[in-house]
Amino acid sequence: MIRLTKRVEFCAAHRYVNPDWSDDENRRRFGKGGNLHGHNYVLEVTIQGTPLPETGMVMDLKALKDLITDAVLDHVDHKNLNVDVPAFAKQLPTPENLAVVIWELLAVRLPGGALYRVRLWQDDGSYVDYFGDEVRP
Amino acid sequence: MTSVKIVEVTQTFSFSAAHRMHNPRLSAEENRRLYGRCNHPNGHGHTYRMAVTIRGRISAVTGTLEDRDRLVQAVRERVLDRFDQVDLDGLISPTDGVTSTTEVLIGVLWRVLEEALPPGRLVRLRIEETPNNFFELDRSGQA
Repeated sequence: MIRLTKRVEFCAAHRYVNPDWSDDENRRRFGKGGNLHGHNYVLEVTIQGTPLPETGMVMDLKALKDLITDAVLDHVDHKNLNVDVPAFAKQLPTPENLAVVIWELLAVRLPGGALYRVRLWQDDGSYVDYFGDEVRP
Repeated sequence: MTSVKIVEVTQTFSFSAAHRMHNPRLSAEENRRLYGRCNHPNGHGHTYRMAVTIRGRISAVTGTLEDRDRLVQAVRERVLDRFDQVDLDGLISPTDGVTSTTEVLIGVLWRVLEEALPPGRLVRLRIEETPNNFFELDRSGQA
């Protein structure tokens, strides 16, 4: 089994606001994160599999790039995550939740078990890893 | 907001510290041979880069990994306040190891962070002594 990773970048705006809380509570919890602001995200999508004998590839990286563009980037790049991404109508657009949303957008378009990891870097020296529902070390 | 997804979050930090590799049980000549330029009598230093990985559920209330705030606070209070801009050799005791190698340091920092975080939360620690030399410890490597 070999793992390969495609790295892409996108830029998006978001703000943290919980509609169940008052304005004061939101300000207290989220501070400036409650203002509409933006980030440059880096997304690393890792696929696992066995190279096909006829191509020597686990997956064509161009096809993977096109898939990521179609399934994810077209929906988030230069968008407002709160407004433009339906998944964030009911949950906060944190890096953690965004990693899960991206996983779900990709997983339905890939063969079962092919998607190994979604790693999402925010531009503050931190990243989130999501491996799907299954618990892994 | 009822998500209970498990994620890992890795946060990076850096600190600058001096040290000298020297095993007091060995002769000066043996130390020179073993540690080379890292045994330089007046010491030297590094900008250590540290990546701390914690694992847990996404809080349905805040949308962030539970205890992510505690991670940042623990690193600031337990690591950066103590290990940044200091001579490491004063902080490594003989029970930690013979001298301040990064192998010994990463064990010390693991213990410090483990004590400050809920059980099982810390899963991986990576220390870069220089961009070319880095060390990793994960939970499976802990007794």
